[in-house]
This record gives sequence, C-alpha cells and structure tokens, in this order.
Amino acid sequence: MTTLFTVLAAALAVAIPALATAWAQSRIGPAIAASMAEKPELSTTAVLMIAIPETMVILGFVVAVLILFGKTV
Amino acid sequence: MIIAMTKVRILGPRERLPDVLRVLQDLGVLHLAAPTVAQPLEPLKLSSRQERERHRLRNALEDIERALAELGVEPGAGMPSGTATTAELARWVRLAWQVRRSVERLKLQAAGLEEERALILKYQHFFSAFQSLLESEARLPNATAYHVLLKAGDTDAIQRMRTSLKSVIGEEFQLFSQLLPTGETAVLVIVSAQAAGRVERLLSEARVQEIPVPQQYGGGGVSLTDAIPRMIERLGDLPEEEQRVRQERAALARLHGETLRRARLALNDRLKELEALPFSGLTPRAFVLEGFVPAPARATLESRLASAFGEDVVVDELSREEWQSDNAPVVLSNPRLFRPFETLIRLMPLPQYGTIDPTPFVAVFFPAFFGLMLGDVGYGIALALLGLLLHARSKPGTLLRNVSEIIGPCALFSIIAGFLYGELFGDLGRRVFGLRPLAFSREEALIPFLLLAVALGAVHIVLGLVLGAVANIHRHPRKALGSGLSAVMIVLIVLALLAAVDVLPHGFFTPVVVALLVAFPVLIVLEGVVAPIELLSTVGNILSYARIMALGVASVMLAVVANRMVGAIGSVAVGIVFALLFHLVNFAIALFSPTIHALRLHYVEFFGKFYSPGGVRYEPFGHWTRREEPA
Repeated sequence: MTTLFTVLAAALAVAIPALATAWAQSRIGPAIAASMAEKPELSTTAVLMIAIPETMVILGFVVAVLILFGKTV
Repeated sequence: MIIAMTKVRILGPRERLPDVLRVLQDLGVLHLAAPTVAQPLEPLKLSSRQERERHRLRNALEDIERALAELGVEPGAGMPSGTATTAELARWVRLAWQVRRSVERLKLQAAGLEEERALILKYQHFFSAFQSLLESEARLPNATAYHVLLKAGDTDAIQRMRTSLKSVIGEEFQLFSQLLPTGETAVLVIVSAQAAGRVERLLSEARVQEIPVPQQYGGGGVSLTDAIPRMIERLGDLPEEEQRVRQERAALARLHGETLRRARLALNDRLKELEALPFSGLTPRAFVLEGFVPAPARATLESRLASAFGEDVVVDELSREEWQSDNAPVVLSNPRLFRPFETLIRLMPLPQYGTIDPTPFVAVFFPAFFGLMLGDVGYGIALALLGLLLHARSKPGTLLRNVSEIIGPCALFSIIAGFLYGELFGDLGRRVFGLRPLAFSREEALIPFLLLAVALGAVHIVLGLVLGAVANIHRHPRKALGSGLSAVMIVLIVLALLAAVDVLPHGFFTPVVVALLVAFPVLIVLEGVVAPIELLSTVGNILSYARIMALGVASVMLAVVANRMVGAIGSVAVGIVFALLFHLVNFAIALFSPTIHALRLHYVEFFGKFYSPGGVRYEPFGHWTRREEPA
C-alpha cells in the first residue's frame, strides 16, 4: 500500500506542475507570438518567456525523483 | 571585455567644419556626441536648404532601395563612393525617381498579366467542358444561352433545376451539365428567345449566378460564346508579353544597377554628413565636435587630423570626470575562441559601459551546461559533424558561422560528458562496446546527478554575485557590498547543509549558522527589507539548475527507449528503423531543449546577479556600409 501511495505521489508531483506549465504556456504562447508579429526583436524574450514556466514541471520532476529514490541520499 | 573609450573634443575654425567631417567620415572611428560645453557655444541647426536636401536624399534612398529590390540586383558592396559632386547627387536623385517609376510600371504590368492568366485559367475547365455545345449554341440564332456554375457537393441541384425549368417554360429548353475537376458542376441552359425573360427571373429567384464574361473580353454585352475565342487567343499571347516585361526589367538592371548601387553609397554618405552636423557646437568663428573613440584608436585620430589640418584643428582628451559612463558606447572585444559567444550576448540589450562583459563566462559555462544535459558520445559526434557542415557552408562573420563555432565546444563538452556517463546513443555503448561510466550512470545515479546540477548552480550563482560586487564597487558601493555579502551567505548556507548531512564535520554546523545569523541583519541594513526575499529568490535560482539533471535524464531515457525498440518490435529490421527514427527525434529535441535551458540559466539566473543592460551601441561616424541597411 505504501508503495502505491509513493508512486501516486511521484506521479502527481509531475502531473500537476505539468498541467500548470501547459496552462501557463498556452497563455504565454499566443501573447508572445502577437508581440513578435509587431516587434520581431522580441525573439529572445519569447524564448525566455516560454522556458520560464517549464521550471515548475522540472522542479516537479525533481521532487518526484526525491520521492522515489530519496531514501538513498 | 568592453573596450575602454576616450572622450575627445575637436576644435577648429568654423569654415573647416565640412572638411573635418569628411576626414572623420573617412577614418570612421568617432562616435559623435552632443557637445557638453554651454555658452558661448550654440548647437548647429540645419538650414532650411539642408533640411530640404535631407528630405530629398531620404526619398531618393527609398526609391533606390525599392528599385534595387525589384530589379533583383545582387546586394554587393558597390564601388567606393569617393566624393560625389553636387551635380552627381542631383542626377542620381533624378535617376532613382525615374528607375523606381519604371520598375513599378513593369511590376504592375507583370501583376496584370499574371492576374489575366489566372482569370483565363479559371474559365479553362468551362471552355473544355462546353466547347462543342457553345459552338452549337452559336448556330441557333433564336436561342439564348445561360452559363452557370453549381457548387460542389450539391448532387440534386441539376435535377431541381430541370424540374423548375420544366414548370416555368415547359419542354422548350436544353440543359447540359458537366462535372469539373474542381468539384463544381458547369451547366449550360439553351432556351428560345421568347422564354428568356422567364428563365432569367427563375435564375434570379433561385439566386443562381450566371458566369460573368470578364470586362476586358466584352463584359455584359458579349456572350460567353464570343468571348471564349478571344480569351484562348489572349492566353497564347501572354507568354510573349511576360517575356517582354522580364527583358525590360533585366535591361533596367543592366543599365542602372551598378549606378544605383554607387548612388546608394554616395547618398547615404551625404545623408550621414548632414545628420552629423547637428552634433557640432558653433561660435561665430570656431566649431566644437565631441565624441567617443576606442582608446587604442585615439592616436590615429589625432595624427590623421594633424596631417590634414596642421595646427588649425586641435584634439583634446576629456578627463574621465567630465563624462558619464552611461553615455559611452560599448564595443565588445574578446579572444578569438570566445568571440562567437558574443552572438548570445547580443540577443540581450548590450551591457552598460564600465560594467562587465559576460562573454568569457558564457563561453565556458554555456557549452558545459549544454554538454552535461546532452551528455552522449554518439549525439556529441553527430553534433560535431553538424557544426562542421555549417562551418563549411557559411561565410566568415555571418550568424551561421558563429552558430557553427558555438556548436563546436558544445559538441566537445557533450562527448566528454558522454564518457563520464558512459553513454553512446543511450545504453548502446554499454551493451555493444562495453563502455563504462567514468563518473556515474545517469540512468541509475539520479540523486548524485541532481546534487551535481545544484552544486554547479551554487558555483554559477556565487560567481554571478561576486561579479555583481566587482561591477558595482565604484558606481554603487552599497549595492556591491550587498552582492558580496549575499555570495558569502550562499556559501555559508551550502556549508551548513553539508555539515548537517555529515559531508563536512558536524562541528562546522554551529559556527556557520552563527555566521549566517550575524550576516543576515547586515544584509537587511545594506539592501533593505527586500533582502530576505532576494536571498530566498537566489536560493530558488540555485535550485533552478536542477533542470540540468531533469533534461539530462529525459534525454538518456528517450535514447534507452529507442534502443529497446529493436527487440520489442517483431522484425529486427523494422525495430532498427524505428530505433533510428526515435534517435533522430531525440537528437532534435536534445539540440533544442538544452540550448533553450542553458540560455535561460544564463539570461535569468546568472545575468540577474550582475548584468546591467542599456549600453549604447558604438556607431562611429563613417561611410555607409550594407550592415546599416534598413531591415
């Protein structure tokens, strides 16, 4: 039973931030695309803006790894 | 490194100003700035004649750019402009106007011919479907024909039309239909002249539109039967006319292309000269010009002006206290190996003069982070080959060449990291060649990899804070102290954590925590109440480096999955094809993702600690070059 909850917790640690990241990127993408249509020099900002929410899912992945393998620290 | 600048003031007799400007333009090293001295200097204002000339030059340049673009003249450098006479300038302005008009006329003609061809082709299906019927219509003098197109997909439309016609005019009609390749149905209805009025009413009520005869082939007054031969004949004439337009355009390019390129240089030079004039300050007898020169070029400037004007023109160096670094232009200059990475810095606003050029740090850490994320000997070699290919296909100084030179170190670090992780196309190296990890396997040692990534983050961020302290030490000493203290506190936090988990002797823990408690209020005094939030955000920045581990693990797992396809899918050959495809996809992802995230770690986390954007671009007053061409 403990294993089940551990695996479930690890899955949720990735899944919830992944959904949040997807939602954030879905809002940022059109906005930055519209901005770039007017100011193409914003391409660097565009890359950063798209990459920023990915931090959430990356940290979620790290937390999942810690949940699954953390005992070996 | 940001090249040191010197601010100079050039003084001379007022009447020599145009000559001095010409020498400065030839030399091309002085970045002009408005003179800082007030009375009795007055800024030079362009006369109304000069304003008119500037306006005319701008219009002429627009004409030239349009004409050159339309004529497809190769964007070469053109001949050196030399000193164009006023008569030449006037002639080129007129020529630019004439050529642009001719080019636009030809463009309109070409567009008209293209449109006409498209229109005729639109009717072509209809011609071929009904040619014989249309001829038979022509032989019936008392008949009226209606040509209509029915929409694609409406299968019952013909039957409904037939029934409606029968109910209105009985059997006095003939209806032919033909399905066109476009899916529409072409319909020809022939009725007696007496029934024409009723049929027209019927078609109008049913909102069925007749195919209109194009205006240029007779319009509404001519039947399609008469128009079709004219259209077919016209279709045969079109290639000849199009060829004539192309030949005229080529002749224009041959005749005026080189002259226009030379005119573009000369007109731009004259425009630059006019735009430089307002940077001068004048007294009734003298002029003053001020500007920034890269320190190594100052001696050249002085000797050139001395040889041209002797003692008439004097160059003074302004002391450092007399000018603000915010106004000084920025030129980045780095060793050959680091220079391609300036491209990554130029994606951001330039650093301010007097601050730190981060290029050398980016040149070391960017490939290292990229390599740690990709970390595969096979992918590294593939990347190196891609870099070599780009290098061979690009010209020096271009963006593509810089990218190829950035790829080189990235590939090298990927190969090194690949040996450390023991990876060649995922676990293929281990299974086939017996490759063993020199450090640890990313598939299994997730926690050590995570610790390595975060430790690298700590080093990178502490380096950023130290650079912040160095950059601000003269300009904002308080900020510099705050930045330095933050760096120390980060080191203390790391030491406390290491002592807590017994990596360091446990005795370290208490003194380190005490040192942290002492440093904390000092940080608040230096940076204000936001200091704790800043410190927390710095810790968050360090944790953000965990992405190196996350992306690295994702990359190796995808490669392992690709390798397992060989055994998982029935046929070995099919499995190999799928595995290759999957590796290709993984390679594409592995190029894109580590680049974005390594850039992000630099732009957001690292630069945030010391980078001061807002530097002025160094734009020396000189001759026009293609690089200044409007986008």
